[in-house]
Amino acid sequence: MSMAKKLQRLKKHIVREEPSALKPEPPKGIRFWDVWESAGAELFEFEGEYCITRETNYAIGQAHGLYTFEDAQKTIGQWASFNGHHPLSAKGFQSSDLFFFDIETTGLSGTGSVIFLLGTARIHENQVTVKQYFLPSPGNETALYAKFLQETDYSTLVTYNGKSFDWPQVKSRHTFVRDKVPALPAFGHFDLYHASRRLFKHTMESVKLVNVEKEHLGLERVDDVPGHLAPIIYFDFVERGDPEGVLQVMKHNERDILSLITLYTHISRLVLDESALSDDQTALEVGKWFEASGNSVAAKEAFEKSTESRQEEVALDAAFRLALQFKREQSFEAAVPLFNRVREAEGARSIEAAIELAKVYEHKWKNIPQALRETEWALEQKLEKEAVKRALEQRLHRLEKKLSK
Amino acid sequence: MMWKKTLSDIITELRADENVIHWHELEPVEAKTCPMPAFIDERLRLALEARRVRHLYTHQYSAFEAVQNGENIVAVTPTASGKTLCYNLPVLQKIAEDETSRALYLFPTKALAQDQKSELNEIIAEMGADIKSFTYDGDTSPAIRQKVRQAGHIVMTNPDMLHSAILPNHTKWVSLFENLQYIVVDELHTYRGVFGSHVANVIRRLKRICSFYGSSPQFICTSATIANPKELAEQLTGSPVRLIDNNGAPRGRKHFVFYNPPVVNEPLNIRRSATVEVNRLAREFLKNQIQTIIFARSRVRVEIILSHIQELVKRDIGPKTIRGYRGGYLPKERRTIEKGLRDGDILGVVSTNALELGVDIGQLQVCVMTGYPGSVASTWQQAGRAGRRHGEAVIIMVASSTPIDQYVVQNPDYFFERNPESARINPENLIILVDHIKCAAYELPFRVDESFGPMDVTDVLEYLREERVLHYNGGKYHWSHESFPAANISLRSATQENVVIVDQSETANVKIIGEMDRLSAMTLLHDEAIYLHEGVQFQVEKLDWDHKKAYVRQVDVEYYTDANLAVGLKVLEVDRTKEKSSSAVHYGDVTVNILPTIFKKIKMTTFENIGSGPITLPEEEIHTNAVWLELNIEKPEKSLEHLLMGIASVLHHIVPIHTMCDKSDIHVVSQIKAAHTGLPTIFLYDHYPGGIGLAEDVFKRFDEVKEAAKDLIGKCPCQNGCPSCVGMGFDGMDVKRKSMELLDQF
Repeated sequence: MSMAKKLQRLKKHIVREEPSALKPEPPKGIRFWDVWESAGAELFEFEGEYCITRETNYAIGQAHGLYTFEDAQKTIGQWASFNGHHPLSAKGFQSSDLFFFDIETTGLSGTGSVIFLLGTARIHENQVTVKQYFLPSPGNETALYAKFLQETDYSTLVTYNGKSFDWPQVKSRHTFVRDKVPALPAFGHFDLYHASRRLFKHTMESVKLVNVEKEHLGLERVDDVPGHLAPIIYFDFVERGDPEGVLQVMKHNERDILSLITLYTHISRLVLDESALSDDQTALEVGKWFEASGNSVAAKEAFEKSTESRQEEVALDAAFRLALQFKREQSFEAAVPLFNRVREAEGARSIEAAIELAKVYEHKWKNIPQALRETEWALEQKLEKEAVKRALEQRLHRLEKKLSK
Repeated sequence: MMWKKTLSDIITELRADENVIHWHELEPVEAKTCPMPAFIDERLRLALEARRVRHLYTHQYSAFEAVQNGENIVAVTPTASGKTLCYNLPVLQKIAEDETSRALYLFPTKALAQDQKSELNEIIAEMGADIKSFTYDGDTSPAIRQKVRQAGHIVMTNPDMLHSAILPNHTKWVSLFENLQYIVVDELHTYRGVFGSHVANVIRRLKRICSFYGSSPQFICTSATIANPKELAEQLTGSPVRLIDNNGAPRGRKHFVFYNPPVVNEPLNIRRSATVEVNRLAREFLKNQIQTIIFARSRVRVEIILSHIQELVKRDIGPKTIRGYRGGYLPKERRTIEKGLRDGDILGVVSTNALELGVDIGQLQVCVMTGYPGSVASTWQQAGRAGRRHGEAVIIMVASSTPIDQYVVQNPDYFFERNPESARINPENLIILVDHIKCAAYELPFRVDESFGPMDVTDVLEYLREERVLHYNGGKYHWSHESFPAANISLRSATQENVVIVDQSETANVKIIGEMDRLSAMTLLHDEAIYLHEGVQFQVEKLDWDHKKAYVRQVDVEYYTDANLAVGLKVLEVDRTKEKSSSAVHYGDVTVNILPTIFKKIKMTTFENIGSGPITLPEEEIHTNAVWLELNIEKPEKSLEHLLMGIASVLHHIVPIHTMCDKSDIHVVSQIKAAHTGLPTIFLYDHYPGGIGLAEDVFKRFDEVKEAAKDLIGKCPCQNGCPSCVGMGFDGMDVKRKSMELLDQF
């Protein structure tokens, strides 16, 4: 047997000297690929470009702040029994239909600002899956969006200020590669920033997500990279290739997304379950939210309860709003006692209440003397707006004329 | 009661006036028309007929024809010759044929865009077509911005807005850029100097974005009469452009009168104030119910003349019918004045050059100019305000005592036989170019093989990569910085960092009233300077140089301030030289160090110096282009320094006329011993970092400039130098002759 043949036969037994065959060259010469790999990153190549993705899974029983992901699942299910309209209603959705979404960019707005990280989270049966799509350097956006769109079949996005920031940014960047990647699908959008402003603004100076986490979700960020440093960290990465800083930004992004799950759960509970409400003002805000979304049944129910609040201001505001709902339904018998209550309390909305009473007395119940009394009372108060004063004086003038006929 | 004089009566009187030193008559011209092209959209034809447009003037027809053939055009038309139809007709026709078509209109100012929108919308309304035209500027409410972006067929904006809002957000304007057929550049001649150089680069960026979205729009430009409309249009648009100048609009007889106020001080050659004469002349027309426009060079002057004239004619016609017009009036106020002029309700208007631009005020009978407007082009524009299509019109230019005014009125040939000035831009100015390459890369990654205008800009891109502003990857340079470059780049000021002017007259209502470029601020906004804003005097209480803020307070004083600058010049490189036996003229790169030293307080009525104070500001350094005249005299006589100063002053008057720039754009400095050679030298340099081509132009046309300077000195009626020419001479020294001899050496 020749030496060559022998070698062939024994091939399997000879210790190989080529570790490179086991550990291949880093793809595309990516620097620090071993660090990426140990962080669970994967490579996606597309038309000569590439992007880096990373998937992290969490057990459904794990908690993030006040709630476990299982709680989130349950709460989403509870929307099924909610009737009527609400901007955050997940009625008819599976928990896996919601895409919790957040991006990191190199600048504020404009076509020169690039999204370098797209993060999504989805609640599956037994786990929560976080997927992140990272742009290793400018000029790889085709790969980034090809991969993102390939894996994304969202029906509803859940974001924090995504309506005015994240999504317009995605649309803008997509324009650059639209010839090579699929179109952006249509979808619903729950923007929790707007929800948080409604419910928490009265207690917080700034409704930034970190603050909401701290105040309402029982979360405290430890070793977190502040979001505003993300651009510098990214440019440093592009320059040096060391992913250490970027991995921290990815951690930050992941925390943001997981917090969206907790926040959605929390807000849904406040809306769906009054026992979750911690204070009377928030309860009133929930009612006002229904009112603004045109769900008058739910709004009335909420206001009804708020009228019993021991916080005078909350109770009076609720009474006034409830009265307006009744008035809209032409239930003046129900509205007038409420308006009376508000006017007699001589609080913030008394003048408005008096005006409403005057309207009902004048136009509906044709009780001119009573309408006149309400108007005169209002005019005796300190009126800040000139227009209100003028309108009242006109009313007074008209009522006096009617009376003298 | 006296009979009212007619215009011809006054013309006869004027002919006999001894102060009239030149009378030029322009013969009437008949209209030249072509029939409306047969294939014009029926709705458009009817809409035009309703506006009594049944034929096209020849220039309108040629413009339409050339645009239909796919050519870029620049239409050069005098005031009120129906220039808007040169672009509205092809644009409306195109949109009527294909409603997905889009057009972008660029106007130099917001106000002009507003004007044009109302005119265009009237035609559209009469067409009954669903064509949407919108203005897009700082005043556009956020609520309708989205509608403008997506549904506007015609978007009217200005270059600043294009630069800082539209191009950097082009992904929001996809439907505009994908379907862009026409880019209209109105008032092309206003895009010159620094502003024009910036705008040429903005248009390069615009073309890049269009090509990204697959469109290649045609350019339709209109311009007032300048010497080089085609060249300017080609430089600005970076495309070949056809010149349309067969003006077919009719014109009535015009009398162009040069009026020189009488000398009141023989030895000093001082004449009676032009303002006084203008007031008197204007009164004569106005009290005879003849519609008159009066131009003045500054906002303050407008207000002064206005109040005088209103006073003078109060008894004759009542004050309401004489109005002022200038920048700083509210748009609504201006619309009322324009309409009043068209309808004849307003009899007279006193205006700055704001009314030079294409605002429609109809045609008046008389135009009076307070002094020479500064350029031939500008003079014809202002003159164009008077002159109806039929009947006579009078234009009177009343000269002031300044050398240039005196030169113009005493050399009528200079004015009437000379071509108007060329408008120059230098889009390749490195500082401007780098600014716009940053913006361009921000908008769209730069391909390595891509050019920007006619330039290979690889070096610039590499420089920006080294600066870590761009990142090179996959054959492209990508923007990789967190900033928004357009925010720091202003198209209209010389230096990028502006000084903000803060009015703190009312403690409760501190407000920003304007801004100024840094170089100008050194001399106009130093501590204690009197700053004029919309005719109101402010005193600078504090110039915070580190934070670029000037705090001012309203005052009422009898003086203005004038700052002195110490200027140091270093020659870096000589590019070109013209040598003669005893002298040389060079062109090249210089460094200028500028240090304001003191300021003087000058009484407004008598121009006496009534005080002074120091200015403490850090030295500024700019790198620019210069042309310098050098004498080979090692040991100059003492009088030479004086002569050089006189010549420098004459050159500073002459050069802006020949290069069509503002007096502040070019600076002239004389040195008896220049630092680099020790020789007597006069420097002329572009007062803008990197230069904008003025010095180069002077170098190229030096002989022309020299002759004009000699002419000015020679024709000045003074005996031995006066402030209107080379300054006062010494006893026994023939300063005028010596200055001319000296000039002849170059």
